[in-house]
Amino acid sequence: MSIRSLLRALGLLAVGLFFLFPLFWVLMMSFMTNADILRSPPSLIFEPTVSNYTSLLSGSLASQVGTLNVDYVQNLMNSFILAAGSVVLSLLLAVPAAYAFARFRFRGGENMAFTILSFKFAPPLLVLIPLLGYFRQIGLTDSYIGLIWVYQLITLPLVLWIVRGYFEDISEDVEYAYRLDGHSWWETFTRIALPLARPGIASAGLLAFIFAWNNFIFALVLGSSRVQPVTVGALNFVTASGIQYGQIAAALVLSILPTLAVALYAQRFLVQGLSLGAVKG
Amino acid sequence: MVANASTAARANRGRGSVAYRRAIPYLLSLPALLVTIGVLIPFVTAVVYSLQRYNLAFPQGRAYIWFDNYLQLAMSADFWHTVAVTLIYTLATVGVEMVLGLAVALLLQKRTVINDVMSVALVLPLMVAPAIASLMWKLMTNTQFGIMNYLLTVVGIQHFGWATDPNTAMFTVVLVDVWVFTPFFSILLLAGLRGLPSGPFEAAELDGVPRSFVFFRVTLPMLMPYILTAALFRMFDSIQQFDIPYAMTQGGPGDALMVFQVRAYLEAFTYTNLGKSAAILMVLWAITYFLSQVMIKRWLAMREKAHGAA
Amino acid sequence: MSYLQISNLSKSLGRAEVIRGLDLAMDHGEFLVVFGPSGCGKTTLLRLIAGVIKADGGEVAIAGESMAEVEPEHRGVAMAFQSFALYPHFSAFENIASPLRADGLAEREVKQRVQEVAGMLRITNVLDHMPKELSNGQKQRTSLARSLIRRPRVLLLDDPLRNVDAKLRYEMRIELPEVLRQFETTVLYVTQDFKEAMALGDRVAVMLDGAIRQVDRPANIYRRPADLDVARLFGDPPMNLIPTRPQRHNGGGITVRLGESVLDAPGCPERLLDRECVVGIRPEDVHFLDSREGDCLPVRLEAVMPLNVRTAMLVTAPGALELTSSAWDIREARDEENDTAVRIDLNGAVYFDPDSGQRVQ
Repeated sequence: MSIRSLLRALGLLAVGLFFLFPLFWVLMMSFMTNADILRSPPSLIFEPTVSNYTSLLSGSLASQVGTLNVDYVQNLMNSFILAAGSVVLSLLLAVPAAYAFARFRFRGGENMAFTILSFKFAPPLLVLIPLLGYFRQIGLTDSYIGLIWVYQLITLPLVLWIVRGYFEDISEDVEYAYRLDGHSWWETFTRIALPLARPGIASAGLLAFIFAWNNFIFALVLGSSRVQPVTVGALNFVTASGIQYGQIAAALVLSILPTLAVALYAQRFLVQGLSLGAVKG
Repeated sequence: MVANASTAARANRGRGSVAYRRAIPYLLSLPALLVTIGVLIPFVTAVVYSLQRYNLAFPQGRAYIWFDNYLQLAMSADFWHTVAVTLIYTLATVGVEMVLGLAVALLLQKRTVINDVMSVALVLPLMVAPAIASLMWKLMTNTQFGIMNYLLTVVGIQHFGWATDPNTAMFTVVLVDVWVFTPFFSILLLAGLRGLPSGPFEAAELDGVPRSFVFFRVTLPMLMPYILTAALFRMFDSIQQFDIPYAMTQGGPGDALMVFQVRAYLEAFTYTNLGKSAAILMVLWAITYFLSQVMIKRWLAMREKAHGAA
Repeated sequence: MSYLQISNLSKSLGRAEVIRGLDLAMDHGEFLVVFGPSGCGKTTLLRLIAGVIKADGGEVAIAGESMAEVEPEHRGVAMAFQSFALYPHFSAFENIASPLRADGLAEREVKQRVQEVAGMLRITNVLDHMPKELSNGQKQRTSLARSLIRRPRVLLLDDPLRNVDAKLRYEMRIELPEVLRQFETTVLYVTQDFKEAMALGDRVAVMLDGAIRQVDRPANIYRRPADLDVARLFGDPPMNLIPTRPQRHNGGGITVRLGESVLDAPGCPERLLDRECVVGIRPEDVHFLDSREGDCLPVRLEAVMPLNVRTAMLVTAPGALELTSSAWDIREARDEENDTAVRIDLNGAVYFDPDSGQRVQ
C-alpha cells in the first residue's frame, strides 16, 4: 500500500471519527446511568439501561432532588406539528409561485422573486422582537398558527429557490405540446409540470422540514411553553437543575432522530436539492 | 371532411380569456409574496424602535432620540467588542470549514463503496439542529465527566476549560460550528468536483504533470465559483449566528461569546432595552444587506452561465 | 382570403429581433415548406402561429379570423416538435390520446382512433411503451400521431426528420406526404435541408433573418432565386456567383466577361449594360469536358467531390476565375489535371444587383 493511500485512509478515518463520534457518544450516554457517566475514566463497557428514555417519555423524572414533571413528548409533538405544518403551507404557496416565476415573464416578476428570496438574509431577531409585541396584542403567542406563519420566512424562500430551478429544467416544448393538445394552462401545470418536477418538490419539502425542525430562535422568542419544539425544550432541559445527564443525552437523541432518519432515507434527494439549489438557484 | 367538428368548436371557446391569462402569474405568486410581506411591518417597527429611547422597564420615558442609540453604540466598548467577537467567529468558522470541506471532498472524490457510504454518513452533522449540536458538545466538553476532557488528558492536557473558560470559549463554539457546517461545503464541493470535465485532467495525466500543479492550477480555479458561493452563504449564517453560542453559554463566560444577535437578544429580554437592541440589529442588517447584494450579483452571474450554456 | 394569413409579424427575444415584418399566406390544404438556415427564426415563427408565445406586432389569422385573442388550446393548430416533446410519464398510447382526452371523448372511441392513427404510422406494436423505451423513429411517429389525431386545421412540423437517422429519414420523406395527404390538413413544414424542401413542398418559403425572402414552387426558386442569399442557400453545390460587367458586343448581343473570357449572355437584362452586377451560374450549366476541343473554356481541375450520384468539380480558369462544375456521372478523383475544359451555358444564368442583392429581371 503506497504512502498516498495510507494517508488517504488515515485522513478518512480522522474525518469519520470527528464527524460521527459525537453522535455515537451521545447515543451511548443516553443508555448510561448517571453513575456510569460520572465514572472516571469513562468506559465503553457498561450496563445499558433504557430508564432514561422511559422517564422522558413518561414525563416524570426521578432524581436525587425529587421528581420533576417534564413534558418532552409534547415538545416532540410540537416539533412535528410546526415542521410539517410549515412545509405544507410552504409547498402550497411556493410551488405555484415558483411556476409563475419560471414560466411567465410578467412585470415585476423578477423583483417579486427577489424580494421573497431576500428575506432569507435578514437577521431573524430584527423581525422577531417587534413581532412578539404584535403577537401579544393579537393573541398569537400560544398558537401553532403564529409560529407556522413566521416559519415561512425560512421555508418559503427555500422551497421557491429549489422548485423554480426544477420547473425551469422542464423543456418548454413538452408544455407547449400539452397546451396545443387542447389543455388549459392549469391542466398543464397539474398534469405535466408538477409530476415532472416531483423530485425537486420532494427534496425541497424534505429540506424545508429539516430546517423547520431545527429552528431554534423563532420558537425561543415567539413560542410559549405549550407550543415550543424540542430545540427550545432541550435547552430548558439542560439548564434545569436536578436532571440526570443520561436523561439529557436521551432528550438530545430523541430530538435529532427524526431529521437523521429523514436524511438517511432521502439522502440523494437532499444532496440534489442542496447542490442544485445553491448552484442553479 | 377536413377539420374535425370538435376542433372547430374548440376554436370558438375561450373568448376574452386573455385578461384572465395575464392575471395568472400574479394570482399564483401573490399569496407567497403577501406572506413574506407580513414581515415588512415588524421591520418598520424595528426601525422605529431603533430611533427611540424605549425601555420596557420605563415605558413612560419612551421618546424619539433619533440617532442617539447609534451614536451610543459607536462609542460603547461593548459594542465594538461584539463586532470583534463576531468577526473572529465568522472568519474562523468560514475559513476552517472551507479548507476542511475541500479536504473532505477531495478525499471522497473517487467513487468507491467506502467513499459513498462515508458521503452519506458525513451529511448527518448538517442535519442536527445547531442548538442541539451545541448542547451535545456541551455535554461532551463538560469539565467533570465529558469525554473530550478525558481524551485530552490522554494526550497530556489537563484542565481544559472549553466553554467555561473565556479564553477557550470561542474555540469551543467555533468547533461546534465547524462540526455542523463543514458538510455543507463538502457536499457542494463534492458535487462540483464530480461535475468537472475530465478532459483537462486526462490531458494532464498524459503529460505527466505533477499532481500538486494540477490541483492548484486546474482543479482549484475550476472549483472557485462553488467555493465562493458556499463561503458567502456560510458567512451570512456565521455573522448572524445565534443558536450555537446561545445554547452553549448564553453569551458568556463574561461576554466572550457576545456575537451580534446574542447581544441584541440579551439587550431586549434581559435589559428590556428595545431601542438599543433594535439599533444593534439594524447595524447587523446593514452588513448582511450589503453582503446579500454582493451574493445576489454573483448568483445571477452564475445563473446566466448555467442557463446560457443550456 | 387565404386559410392561414400571417401579416407583418414581429417578435423580439431579449434584445434580438428574431422575426421582423414577416408575411406569409397559405391556402387551405396546402403543403408549404419553410426553409432556412438555423437561427433564422423558424421555430419562433411556429410558436407564434401556435400561440404559445405572443407576438410583439402583426397578426396571425386562421380561416379569416384573427388569433390575437385566442389561446393555443383553442386554435385548432397542432405541432410536431423537433425534440418530439413526448410526455415522459405517459405511455405512447396516452401521449397520442392526449388531445382526445382534452375533448372528453369516450374511452371506446379514444381506443379506436388511437389504433387507427397508430396503424397509419405503423406504431401499433409499441403503444404500451414509455417514451424512453422508444427509438427516435418511433418517437417521431408517436409525436406525429399525437398531432394528427384530432385532425387539426393547421399542422406545424418543426424539422421532424432532423433527429432521425439517415435511412429512416429517407423512408419517411416518402411516407410522410402520403400519410398527411390522408388527413387533408393544411401543413407548414419547417426544414434546414434544401433537398428536403425541394422534395416535399408544393411551395417553398425561403426564410432568412426573420423574414420571408421568396415563396414559390421549388423549381422556380431554384431557377430564379429572388436574391443572392437565396441563391447561395438553395443549391448543393451552391450556385457560382461571379461579379461581372455586361457589355454590348459588336454584333449586337450582350456579353459578359468571366475571368479572361468573354461569353455570350443571351438572358442578360438590358438594364445591366455597363453596370456592375453579379451573375449566377448553376454548376450543372458548367459542363465539364475531358479535353480541350471545340468551343470551350480551358480550365485546370483543382478538386473533385463525389456527391452520391453526382460529382462536383472545382476548376480554375485564367483571370483568377474559380468555378464549380457538376456532372451526372461518377468521376474518380484524380490529381489535378491540366488538360481539361468547361463549356459554360449562360442560358439559365440569373443576374443580381450587387448592392441590394436582388435579382434583376
